[in-house]
Amino acid sequence: MTTKPPKVRTTQPHHTGVYKADSIKDVAETLNINISDAIATALASDVEYRIHQVVEEAAKFMRHGRRTTMITSDIEQALRVLNIEPLYGHTPHNPPTFRRAGPVYGHLSSNTASSGTANAGAVYFVEDEEIDFDRVLREEKIVMPKGVSWTAHWLAVEGVQPLIPENPPPVPRDVDTNTMETPKPNGVIAAPSAPPLAMINGTGIANNTKKPQQQSQQTQQHLVKQVLSRELQLYYTRLTSSLLPPSSDFAKRTAALASLRSDAGLQALLPYLIRWVGEGVVGALKEGGQTEADGKVLEVLMEVIGAILDNNTLFVEPYLHQLLPPLLSTLLHSSLPRSHSTQLRTISSQTLSGLLTKHSTTYPSLSPRIMKTLLLALISPGKSKGTREGAIRGLIGVGKEAVRKGLVDSGGAKVVGSEVQSHEMGDWVEDQALIKAVLDALRVLHPPSDSEMSDSLNMANEADFQVSMRLRNLLGEFFAQKVGRDAAWAKAILGENINDEPIAGQIS
Amino acid sequence: MSGNTPPTASGSPTATSPPQAQATAPTGADVDLLILQYLRAKGHNIAEKAFLNEIEGSSSDARNARPEIINPEELVRTLAVFAQKPSRPGDNTLKDSSNVLSELSTMGNPPALQTLISNISSVGSEDILTEDPSDKPEGFRELVAWVEGSLDMYRPEFRPILFPIFCHFYLDLIQAGRKDAAIQFFATFSPQLEAAHSTTLLHLSTLLLPAHVQNDELAQRFRDEKYFIRISRSGFGLLLGWLTEGIGGEEMGAGYGFYGEKGKRGRVSVMQVVNNHLRFDVTSSNSASLLPHTWEESTGLTSSLIPHANGSHSKIYNPQAFNLSKGDLKLGPAPIPEELRTETERVAREKAMLEGVPSTQYDISLAPPQTLPGMVAPTENDMLPLPPNFKATDVEREVNSIRDARKRIRLEPSTLHGLEPNSPQASAIRAGALPSICAYTLHNVPEGAPCCTFSQDNSLMAVGFSESYIRLWNLKGEKLRGMRSDFSATSIRDSASLRKIKEKKGNSTRKLIGHSGPVYSVDFDPLNGSAAPPKYLLSASADGTSRLWSMDTMTNIVAFRGHENPVWDVKWSPLGTYFATASRDRTARLWSTDRTACLRIYAGHLGDVDCVRFHPNSLYLATGSSDWTARLWDVQRGSCIRVFIGHQGPVSTLAISPDGRYLASAGEDLAINLWDIGSGKRVKKMTGHTASIYSLAFSAESSLLLSGGADWTVRCWDVKGAGGAPNKRDATISSNDSPTSHKFGEEGTIEPTLDMISTFPTKRTPIINVQFTPRNLCIVGGIYQSPETR
Repeated sequence: MTTKPPKVRTTQPHHTGVYKADSIKDVAETLNINISDAIATALASDVEYRIHQVVEEAAKFMRHGRRTTMITSDIEQALRVLNIEPLYGHTPHNPPTFRRAGPVYGHLSSNTASSGTANAGAVYFVEDEEIDFDRVLREEKIVMPKGVSWTAHWLAVEGVQPLIPENPPPVPRDVDTNTMETPKPNGVIAAPSAPPLAMINGTGIANNTKKPQQQSQQTQQHLVKQVLSRELQLYYTRLTSSLLPPSSDFAKRTAALASLRSDAGLQALLPYLIRWVGEGVVGALKEGGQTEADGKVLEVLMEVIGAILDNNTLFVEPYLHQLLPPLLSTLLHSSLPRSHSTQLRTISSQTLSGLLTKHSTTYPSLSPRIMKTLLLALISPGKSKGTREGAIRGLIGVGKEAVRKGLVDSGGAKVVGSEVQSHEMGDWVEDQALIKAVLDALRVLHPPSDSEMSDSLNMANEADFQVSMRLRNLLGEFFAQKVGRDAAWAKAILGENINDEPIAGQIS
Repeated sequence: MSGNTPPTASGSPTATSPPQAQATAPTGADVDLLILQYLRAKGHNIAEKAFLNEIEGSSSDARNARPEIINPEELVRTLAVFAQKPSRPGDNTLKDSSNVLSELSTMGNPPALQTLISNISSVGSEDILTEDPSDKPEGFRELVAWVEGSLDMYRPEFRPILFPIFCHFYLDLIQAGRKDAAIQFFATFSPQLEAAHSTTLLHLSTLLLPAHVQNDELAQRFRDEKYFIRISRSGFGLLLGWLTEGIGGEEMGAGYGFYGEKGKRGRVSVMQVVNNHLRFDVTSSNSASLLPHTWEESTGLTSSLIPHANGSHSKIYNPQAFNLSKGDLKLGPAPIPEELRTETERVAREKAMLEGVPSTQYDISLAPPQTLPGMVAPTENDMLPLPPNFKATDVEREVNSIRDARKRIRLEPSTLHGLEPNSPQASAIRAGALPSICAYTLHNVPEGAPCCTFSQDNSLMAVGFSESYIRLWNLKGEKLRGMRSDFSATSIRDSASLRKIKEKKGNSTRKLIGHSGPVYSVDFDPLNGSAAPPKYLLSASADGTSRLWSMDTMTNIVAFRGHENPVWDVKWSPLGTYFATASRDRTARLWSTDRTACLRIYAGHLGDVDCVRFHPNSLYLATGSSDWTARLWDVQRGSCIRVFIGHQGPVSTLAISPDGRYLASAGEDLAINLWDIGSGKRVKKMTGHTASIYSLAFSAESSLLLSGGADWTVRCWDVKGAGGAPNKRDATISSNDSPTSHKFGEEGTIEPTLDMISTFPTKRTPIINVQFTPRNLCIVGGIYQSPETR
């Protein structure tokens, strides 16, 4: 019996004989029969016709099987209905791998078809692997195939396809309708083009189309093609170059920031800008962040973030999680350049505050998350003074409640106070900055009254003494002293107690 | 085989070039006879006929066709023509002669022929006995040049002529044993015909030996039947002019003198085909009024596709004529028996009282069956016999159908006309016009599942698998419990004791095992409607059986045997009890659940019957077949009453609109055709799918058609919309342009017609089933194809 790979070539109506006379001769030779060329040619034509008959029949079974690939069981069914003994040993569970040997043929023209027998066609044969039982028994794990299961999802709701992971990503409107037909006939899909990178030449951020990670994992391939226009690329290069120190032109920088703050149509640039800021901050801080130049860079970058947030035409929300790391890094980094440290922390905390007021309504989990980071930096032992100061400034940025929670309720002031007291040999400047930060923060709770008018806590007064003790408990010795100079302030820091405290005193 | 090879055959046939006189020498009546004898023996039917024609020279059409031939002694003249051959470049002579002789040597030549061969010199004899193969490519080339060179107005109606002539030329060449010439001919000319006729061409290309032509069914149909072509009167006149005189359509610069004799020979061979195998339906209508795809409906080997009209043996070539001859149909809704109707009304009123809603909400007039104007509703006498008494479930079903009709989502795609896609209210209108689709996707199906269906109450899903089993799922997550087998029949007295023998354990999915081949179709019984889960399931399989499964016991109750071949499709009649199957044995059959033998056999299709659907009033049965037609049968009489010709490939699935007016059919030509059942005419052709279409479904209002297929999409079509190609501005222009674009070039890209409202792609799920729930929600089923398999 002839063995022929169940290869279907339904798409090519024109052919010049798949089955060669030589194959007939080969088969005949194996049976010790010698046949002439003419007979072999005739037989080959006939064999081919029969094969086509089988394949046409098998195609019906494939069609009714709702498949676009013919499998061996189709051939088997076809042979069965044609009353031919099926070919044994070809189960669909274990599709045979055919190897091809011999010369590779392109399209044969009919001239060569009739010409000599020397150029025999390619030979297909079934690969017969040797199986080492020992190895199989030892190593091969038999995996149970997963059972058939179903899932249901909405393919369309009132004619609109919902954007859920079960549905393919939508085809953008402006793209030509040709792309609608990505699945080619017979279920062949066009090779999914790799997410095209928007190339920005010469700026070193060519591979920055890294989408939000969860998104890239969720949707297997993002087919949306986004290419930055030449103008935007130019704008980007100009903007970044005029912002950073090499061009220390102040006017230029102000103009750039102003443009970023108010110009529309920069949405496409946003991911790149944010990435640029992030990398800039990381770069500046990594080098130790000691030089003045680094400080300047950081300052500019903070201003850029502020400008991005200020721009009403930008849709920043999806990128917030990318914006926060540079911001918080600047805020909490232990060693900022001395000359800029306070200023940098103040700017970043202000930016943070602006960000929170703008986006915490739509993104409710934002401020708790930031709070957590800041508290950790404030309270956990072993942090540098710079970090502590940054955390406090950050708390100021988050708001009054945050300050109360951080400094008073969680004992942040106590920690700081003890640290300032114990490390006397520490850096005086840093200490002062830290103390100032704490006092600034405490002032947020209650603007202290004019220094002249202020009356300090009177220790003799029972109530005042109580307040003082409580202050000490809450803020620690160091800051209790500082605050104690202003009775109203101290009471305000104790918060809600300010009203019931006297009553309690009277009762006791 | 070649036992008595004649000695002359072994001699070198090309040794001598014969003088002209020798060829003409033996022109006696006996030679004519011998030649005829030879032709008959070799099966050269056409050549024989042509020869006879020429000898007699008196048959009317021959005279019509070739008025320039005046000489009555045709043979002499023919031989004179042939004898000129040696003066031409003798490229083919060598090969030809050897071919002929080897051919002759393979058959036992009658001694008379031997003497003939020895009498006349070899080359001359070969010229007489066989036609020169080069005249066919030559003739076809000229025909193509003429068609392409004709006026734009005529081109679309001339184009269909090319294909049959091509086929006959190819078959002639093969039959003559000139395989190489045939392959070359095929290679040269098939590409330009491929777009419209790829399937047939592919099949023809597999025929390589004369024996194949004799045995192959399609080839025999080409040989025996007339190929039917519709052409306008003026176009026909032009064609005749070309055939006889070679007028018009010459290539630029090619004067008459240049092509002279050769051209004439080519035209002669074209004319032989035209005379013997083509039949022109000359219409008086202007050629410009033909719509782009009309040729599909009236062109082809239609005579055998159309059954004989009652009693008469005259062949009908025009499907419209046949459809007209069959008279009007009763397409209205089935009547509800009076008692059932009153009972339903009573129950509905009670229900309305109980639920505290106005009784108008249960108004029976809201129920779906309403006779549309212009349609005749059948009476109860027309219906298939059904159980005389109705049951409680029937009432339940009717009441529920009223409720469904009330709660139905209205889908009105007609509101989309003239809608600005970006206008503010567009989305709201679209929401009212387009359906919600819930997709059920099967995962981890290694070998594929050919079918899938949902019960009308949406509680069950049945999927038939290639691995010969059916799997049921309860979509509500309830347990599917069968019955125990260890009980004594005497203990069963009432429903309570029946309930006792139900299985204790169960799962929400269950395998039904019984078939021994891939399961190609499953269908739930419609009797309970949406009121309760179905009681029965039917399945059809490659093992030639269809089986009835009980959803109470979860077992196979009956196996219906009758088809000897794979059963492709099975469908319940809309009122239950009866069902129909479609099989590879080219018949559809009607069965009733209480008998194991079939009740009716619907025979007439020339290919596999691929799908069956009942008309909503169950009076008619529609079938789609691999012979590229769909037919409508009278269920009771078993006769074919409508033929729908127009698909250019096997019909893969069908749907009949709930109002009973339209039939939608989808074919392997990737088109969906919409037919008016009453007149049998094609309403429109809808294209847009890029791979096989597996399933079609009408919405309850019959206004929207959904299709799902192998291109992983579900598409919505506006049934009432105009359709047509998107870029057309004018009907007259399109009539000239569209066939061009259809036949030539741009294969692969399929322009969606205008009536395609929307496309919903899935990720990688070919959609094997599309259906609407009674409340107009759409559910589709498919099998996810993970990219790594195969």
